[in-house]
Formats: sequence, structure tokens, C-alpha cells
Amino acid sequence: MTNIVVLVKQVPDTYSERKLAAGDNTLDREAADAVLDEINERAIEEALVIKEANEGEVTVVCVGPDRANDAIRKALSMGADKAVHVSDEALHGADILQTSKVLAKAVGTVEGVDLIIAGNEASDGRGGAVPAVLAELLGLPQLTHARKVTVEGGTVKVERETADEGITHLEASLPALISVNEKINEPRYPSFKGIMAAKKKPVEKLTAADLGLDGEVGLANAASTVLESAPKPPREAGQRVDDEGDGGVKVAEYLASQKLI
Amino acid sequence: MSFVESDERKALRAAVFELATGYGHQYIARKARAGEHADELWAEAGKLGYLGVNLPEQYGGGGGGMAELATVLEELGAGGCPLLMMVVSPAICGTIINRFGTEEQRSRWLPGLADASTIMAFAITEPDAGSNSHRITTTARRDGDDWVLSGQKVFISGVDWADAVLVVSRTADAKTGKLKPALFIVPTDVPGFEYRPIEMDLVSVDRQFQVFLDEVRLPAEALVGSEDAALAQLFAGLNPERIMASAFALGIARYALDKAVTYANQRQVWGTAIGAHQGVSHPLAQLKIEIELAKLMTQKAAYLYDMGDDFGAGEAANMAKYAAAEASARTVDQAVQVHGGNGLASEYGLGTLIAASRVGRIAPVSREMILNFVAQNSLGLPKSY
Repeated sequence: MTNIVVLVKQVPDTYSERKLAAGDNTLDREAADAVLDEINERAIEEALVIKEANEGEVTVVCVGPDRANDAIRKALSMGADKAVHVSDEALHGADILQTSKVLAKAVGTVEGVDLIIAGNEASDGRGGAVPAVLAELLGLPQLTHARKVTVEGGTVKVERETADEGITHLEASLPALISVNEKINEPRYPSFKGIMAAKKKPVEKLTAADLGLDGEVGLANAASTVLESAPKPPREAGQRVDDEGDGGVKVAEYLASQKLI
Repeated sequence: MSFVESDERKALRAAVFELATGYGHQYIARKARAGEHADELWAEAGKLGYLGVNLPEQYGGGGGGMAELATVLEELGAGGCPLLMMVVSPAICGTIINRFGTEEQRSRWLPGLADASTIMAFAITEPDAGSNSHRITTTARRDGDDWVLSGQKVFISGVDWADAVLVVSRTADAKTGKLKPALFIVPTDVPGFEYRPIEMDLVSVDRQFQVFLDEVRLPAEALVGSEDAALAQLFAGLNPERIMASAFALGIARYALDKAVTYANQRQVWGTAIGAHQGVSHPLAQLKIEIELAKLMTQKAAYLYDMGDDFGAGEAANMAKYAAAEASARTVDQAVQVHGGNGLASEYGLGTLIAASRVGRIAPVSREMILNFVAQNSLGLPKSY
């Protein structure tokens, strides 16, 4: 039996234009369609696969405004059992450290957690630090950037894959925290029964005060804030190679100079 | 009925659309050109419960109604993957067996139809009985406890993919000797049952067939429901057919409109997106309106049907089918026009839909027969035939 918490985040759809708000340089949530982050769908899938093999319960934990309820609902429709939703205006502008603290407290409200699964990074902030910070705060072993996960008895084994270090095999005793990368699995679509059942599943709503964090969170207390931002520069014209019989060689030389071959 | 869809309906739309776009129209086009069925998509959608949302939960269905089933088909089409057999297998056959079948027939067939592991075709049209179903000549006669079926059917969809066919035939009334309709479930592997493909200029994963029934011997339990209630049974299956035909057409229309709008936004001529020109934008805006109106009428028809109002649903379903078929034919035509030559290039995935978008004007009931229906029943005008 493995009780699993999956961290989920509602993010602006990567297909829509993403902006920061003019006033305080926080994410402009109204500017884009909001969706459950795709990497979180993979985290949920992995939790469901582990649950199906070992039994247990999957709890979704989310920090975000009220409309993040849609993302939670999707997670529940995929098959998660219940959810904890921390929603509070006071959290507006929370940075990575604050978010991790809130998550640590929120995860603390779930009983008997064996495994926490997160995506390796959200597609909006892309800090990629929350899983590690949260593991530190909770005193749990962290097995990040997993492309394969196996839970057997009281241990979890992970194939960790990063661009710089290649593949590392990690193992830890439960309870533990893992983060998954996009190679971990293909997430399932919610079934019709899953969709119909999602509404009846319990979602516990909590505020910062409920978690004892009143007055410690939000933009005013953030350790890091965004001072300014600029749109990304337009794409520059590429390098043009005219084929005078040696086109193939030139292309190969270019690729070699970029260390691609 | 609310104009605002429930969270569950929206979630169903989103999930089915995502599944369909994951496969994409190129998947359907490739399968159709190779003479194959959409097995993978059909099986996956079936496993997720999308193809049996209308059937009762006790038989493995979703416990929803025609509104949900039409939503599924519309979203599959909008994602580029219209599945014609949804109109037939869960909607017509599933409905008739669920409403009129015996408990044995329900237990035997509905679980398979609900998860789509079983496919059932529907055979009503005959060479000399198209719109006029009263002229059906396929006949069933009693032989001991058995039934023996003989006759011929035409334009029957997906027979090669089906496990069984629900065949509309006639039996001789014991008292008067007059012929009356009766519905039989005919497995496609029984002796005397043969089918032959009809060459069609349609790019579709669901092919059309001629069916020949030569002294097909069936056990007594092949007769669906009561021998005497068949006309009511038949008409009970026709509203779902029209509602689903509307959803099929709507999906194609939405897919084509989306393609046209995307192209009109991207394609630059003389330094401006072509969509900025009213010659391009106004026809697309008109089609958007027509699609939304057709969708509303489809939803009304499905709502009335699900409320048990067969009669009220009949008028709405006919009007919805008319409107959706017009919208789909006109939208695909306009989408091709917006694309210019690219509209007929395989890469753009629109040319494949030209014939399919015309199907709705012809089947399951022609535009002209719908106008007859509305003229006579809604307006009270005299009948010409």
C-alpha cells in the first residue's frame, strides 16, 4: 500500500501568449488559457500506475488561485482520489521558497504519506527548484529528474536523467520525494466515468492562515521578486549556405561547430 | 436545458478533443487510403468509455444520454477524426436493444457496445426502399422456432467491421397476412449472409456495402423485442441517428472552420494576413454563426430525446440534421476556398472531407425529405406524395 501525494500546478497554456502583469511583474493569469501543467499529468499518471500495482491513495496538492480548481478537477478525473487546494489572495507573488513552505504545510495535512511526486519543473516559472526545496523542508530523500520509477516494498528506485550528467540510478527508503521528467510515461486521458466521478471527490480548501503561514507569504515577503522583464527578441535570420557542390560539407561543418555531430 | 454546459460536459469535450487531436486527421486519412479501419482510435475511445456514454451503467455504459454521445462524436470530428460507426453502433443499435430488447439481448450485446469491443451495423435501406421504408421487402418467415431471412440491403456502413447487423425486415402478420416491420440481430458470420463493398469516392475509414441475405436461419431470440412493436422500435432508433448525424456534421464543420481560420491568420498576401480581407472573413463569420445555431438545435434535440419526448425530439432532430449538414458542406467548401490550391493538397487535410461533408445532405435522410417533414408536420402543408 502506497499513499502518494502529487503536486500539481495550473499554468498558462504553452500554446497561448504568456505575459507578466504590468504592475508587479507577477504572472498575468488572465492573459492566457489556464491548464493543468503537462508534466503534472505525467506525475499523476505515475502515481496512478504505482497505486494500481500497490494499492493506496493518491492525493493531489495544489497551490493556486480559485480557478486552479479546474486543474485539480482534471487530476481527479484521471483517477486521483482527493485533493488539497491552498488558495489565498495573500499568496499572490509568492516565490519558490514560500511556495515550497506552503506545500510542505499542505502535504503535512495529508496522513501517512509514503511518496511525493512532482514534475521536475513547471512550464511557466521553470525554476525547477520546488521539488528539492520541499524535500529539504520535509527532511525527505529527493530523487529528482526521474525517467523511470519503481516502488518495491519500502523502497523507491529511480533512473535519474539530466542533460549534463547522463543517467544515475538512485534508491531510497520511503517516505521520499521524486520529481519526474517528460520521458516518464504517457499520461492517460480521463475516462467518462472518471470525469463523472471527479465532482464527488473531496477537495479540501485551505488558506495561508489555516496552515499557520499568515503574514509570512506573498509578494511583500518574497525573497526574490522580478524587477523588470523584456519580450524575447525576434528571431534572427539564420546562416545561409549556398550549395556550390560543397553544400553537404558546409552543413556538416556547421553542425560540427555547434557540437551537434 | 441550460445554455451553459456542466463542468462534466466541458471536461468530456476537452478530453475527447484532446484524444482526437492526438491521433489527428492525418491518421484517419492514412487509414482510409490504406483501406483500413480506425481500430486504434476506436479501441482507445471505447476503453475510455466515450463510445458508450449513452448506455446504462449496469451494462458497462456511462449512464448518460444522447446529449453526451453527440458531444463525443462532435469533438472527435472537431479533432479531425469523425467516426461514422458511432452513429450506428451505440446510437441506433444500442438504443433500440436497450429500449426494446429482451433482458437476454441486453446482457448479450450491450456490454460490448458500451466499451465498443462489439460493433453493430444497421441495415434498413434497400435498392427500392430508400426514404420510403414502408417498401422494405426483406422478409422473415417462421420455420418452427426459427426465423428465416431473405432480402437485399444497400449502403450499409461498416459491415466488414461489424460483429453483427441489426436488420430491418418484415414479417407476415398472422391474422391479416399484411407485412409489418421486424428487427433482427444477424451475426455477420452466419450462413447465407454475404456482403460486397460499394466503390465510393469517399475518403472514409467506414466503407459502404451491399448486403445479401439468402435464407439466413436465425434462432427465435434474434428478433428484437416484440414482433408487434417494431415500428415504434424503428422510429425510436431514428431520432438518435439524426442527432448523431448532426454531431458528425458539426464536428467536420468545426474542424474545417478551424483550419480556415488558422490559415487566414497565417497566410500573408501583400503584407497582410488574408483574414483581414472581408471577402475572406465575412464568409467565415457567417459559417461560425451557422455552426453555432446548428449546434444549439442539436443540443435541443438531444435534450428532448433524453427527456423521453420522442415526438418533440423528432422535429428538432430533423431541423438539427438539416442545419448541421448545410453548415458542414458549406464550411468545408469555404475552407477549401480560403486555402486556394492548398485546400486540395493532401498535406492540408481538407480535400478528404469534401465528399464526407456532403454526406449529411443525403443521409440518413435527405435534405429534401426533411423539408417535406417540416412542410407537412411543422407547417401543416399538404403532402405531395
